[in-house]
Amino acid sequence: MIGSGVKRGTAELAVLSVLRDGPLHGYELARRIEQQTDGALRFTLAALYPMLYRMEQQRWIRGSWETSASGRRRRCYRVTPAGKKKLSPLRREWAELFRALHRLTKVAHG
Amino acid sequence: MADWHEIVRQRLSGLALEPQDRREVIEELSGHLEETFEQLRREGRTENESVQLTLAQVDDWRVLRRRIQTARAKEHIMSNRVKQFWIPSIATFVFSESLLALSQKFGPRPTIFAFSGNPAVLVFYIPWLLALPFIGAMGAYLAHRAGGPPRAVFSAVLFPALAILGVFLSVLPVALIVDRHVDHNIMAAGFLVGLLGWVLLPAAALLAGGLPAYLFLSRHLTSGRVASQ
Repeated sequence: MIGSGVKRGTAELAVLSVLRDGPLHGYELARRIEQQTDGALRFTLAALYPMLYRMEQQRWIRGSWETSASGRRRRCYRVTPAGKKKLSPLRREWAELFRALHRLTKVAHG
Repeated sequence: MADWHEIVRQRLSGLALEPQDRREVIEELSGHLEETFEQLRREGRTENESVQLTLAQVDDWRVLRRRIQTARAKEHIMSNRVKQFWIPSIATFVFSESLLALSQKFGPRPTIFAFSGNPAVLVFYIPWLLALPFIGAMGAYLAHRAGGPPRAVFSAVLFPALAILGVFLSVLPVALIVDRHVDHNIMAAGFLVGLLGWVLLPAAALLAGGLPAYLFLSRHLTSGRVASQ
């Protein structure tokens, strides 16, 4: 059964998947998602940060301030064990959704 | 070049977060806008065009402010409850129960009061009762220091007695059903005596320390605030 929070789940899945490869700050995270999806998924600042704060509150990710070599302070996010645990069911839900849509479009065009 | 920090600070004015949190949000968001702007410039856009495209990251700043508040405020409600209620309550409970166990094991014999015509007896562990005001004061201090409202402070102060009351209230109905051979009058008398010895007296002792501590801390804080104005 596909959960009701599918729309929100897309963004959460994208963030958790990318952060699983290593910690990133917000701007870098948005860029990485855009690059890895060939521009199909784009996060504006307005969409990204409320979501990051919410995911942080749910303890799926954790943010900490770090200073880069250039002296710029950035808040880096990393995925927590709880976030890793959340990733598997999210992936399953999405695989199920895509399979269902695939079947549906095949029937519609068949 | 645009001052992104100032732009974000102005547009998010009224963001209802703790000052430290507000500063962090402004710093994080302005950093994001600055990097967006720099990237656009590297791509060959004009400065004016880059500023416009960077600002287009946010359609409605009021909506963004509300969404950030909602996302971050929940976190505070959670952490405040832990800091203002659970940590002081658990601390008073652990100290109280540990001291009771130590009194029972190493302390002097308990003082026992028997009531005429009532088989139930009242058992006092005097060293424990004497220590409870200090534990109550500690609970009040911890809850007050975390910025807890009076309700959280007194809940933390009385938590050891409330926990025992909870046990009494859950055990009595079960005992009435299970121990059918015990006369219900005796059971009720035992319950009342137990309530007096293990809940009401400890609660009074906890309050004897917690209430003055709370009043002292409140007055101290109020005069501090008045002095700083």
